[in-house]
Amino acid sequence: MRSDPRDLSGGDGAEEWLLECVFTGEDLPGLRVAVGECAASAGLKEPRWGEFVLAVNEIASNAIEHGGGRGCLTLRRRSGELECRIADDGPGFPESVIPELLPGLDGAHTGRGLWLARLVTDRLVIDGGAAGASEAMGEGGAPDGVQAVGAVVTLAIRV
Amino acid sequence: MAAWDTESTGVIPVQRMRPGDHAFVSYEDDEGPWGVLTAFAWTGLGRGEKVMLFPTPGLPESEVLDRLDAWGPAASAARRRGQIVLSSMRSLILPHRKFTPERQWEGITTETERAVREGYQGFRAYIDMHWVADLDADIETMLYRETHADHLFETAPYSEICAYDRRAFSGEVLDAMAAAHPRNLLERLGSLRVVHADDGVVRLTGDADLATRAEFTAALKAAMARTPVAGRLLVDLTDLNFLGVGCAADLLLVAERAEGGRRIEVRCDAFQARTLRRLGAGSNRRLAVAEAAGERLDRGVGGEPGDGPGEGLGEGSVQGRQR
Repeated sequence: MRSDPRDLSGGDGAEEWLLECVFTGEDLPGLRVAVGECAASAGLKEPRWGEFVLAVNEIASNAIEHGGGRGCLTLRRRSGELECRIADDGPGFPESVIPELLPGLDGAHTGRGLWLARLVTDRLVIDGGAAGASEAMGEGGAPDGVQAVGAVVTLAIRV
Repeated sequence: MAAWDTESTGVIPVQRMRPGDHAFVSYEDDEGPWGVLTAFAWTGLGRGEKVMLFPTPGLPESEVLDRLDAWGPAASAARRRGQIVLSSMRSLILPHRKFTPERQWEGITTETERAVREGYQGFRAYIDMHWVADLDADIETMLYRETHADHLFETAPYSEICAYDRRAFSGEVLDAMAAAHPRNLLERLGSLRVVHADDGVVRLTGDADLATRAEFTAALKAAMARTPVAGRLLVDLTDLNFLGVGCAADLLLVAERAEGGRRIEVRCDAFQARTLRRLGAGSNRRLAVAEAAGERLDRGVGGEPGDGPGEGLGEGSVQGRQR
């Protein structure tokens, strides 16, 4: 896990940059500890503390599984929220991947982690990368020459 | 079987340590100790405890700091305000030069009292046992220290990890030291340990996530296969530090597919029970979820110096803070 923290607060406390790191699968346990410490320090308590850590884990796991094996996580506190952004190098995915209802256990439907992450956070936004753009553009897909840029998932919880 | 072997019982993940815990851990190479050390330090920050690290004597301080900082800026901020301190056994027993258990206990007691006076919720120390050779202490003295240190943990919010490099101690010594500690830790951060008990119980300790999902699910299926027709399998998650959605769903699926009247009872903490229920545990007739008593201290509790010396560690002690 590589960390490159920056303080963007300018000293006024309006925005705190808590974590910025590139992670792979082996970093997930440490990532949960670090995110958990930041969330606890921001004042989150159970069950929302655990839900935030769980949601971050699910998005990060999704980046590892489907987004090129690694991701970049940034965590900051701003405007009464703890906001986590996770970017990956994969093909991206549209928001429609997240099921509206809890998927059944039978079948190969993935997206349960994303579903729960959206359920337990106050805000979850997906910038779906090339795949998301393709869906938005309809069946014609993305224009020729457009490269996959990966997904950027932002999740936030009030603190 | 050696007590420090991962198959032994009574092992917990480092994130589950509580004030009053005296824990043994061992490692086998230079990379080995870092996961537990950094997690121990970081969880201490989250709980508002003062952290003192006693790394391998001679190890460059910069290497320790780099490891701590790899997880984010909170560790360096904590060092600046004195919440994380790097020390050595030599320093702790000053002005004396020869180690005795009593001198070390006095040093720890002094530091614990200082941490409480400073307003921290507790004091925790990670001690790499290479100091034994550095101070030319003998094994018998060390064993006496480890088996007679209960007073440190009974009267103050103190917790301690004693980390043994398996290259530096014999198997016999490691066995004795592991047995001398009330707690043994999982060696690797994020690992999963499975114990199949004879009485229809499978205990899962550590982290159940993307990396350990196959192991987690295979353990459940194996345990279910051994469960008699119409019998009950108890899945004990009380020392599971983390339950990811994929593993939770696999647990529900194993229960749903149980044949012959078999059923599963899950024993877990309140948050894991909440996760299982969110994923549909309530509608699974073959599954019962029981919340184990006791609070988890790694779940968003803790506090900042100034919350009050000696105050409880419950959720009510949490204060928001700015870095």
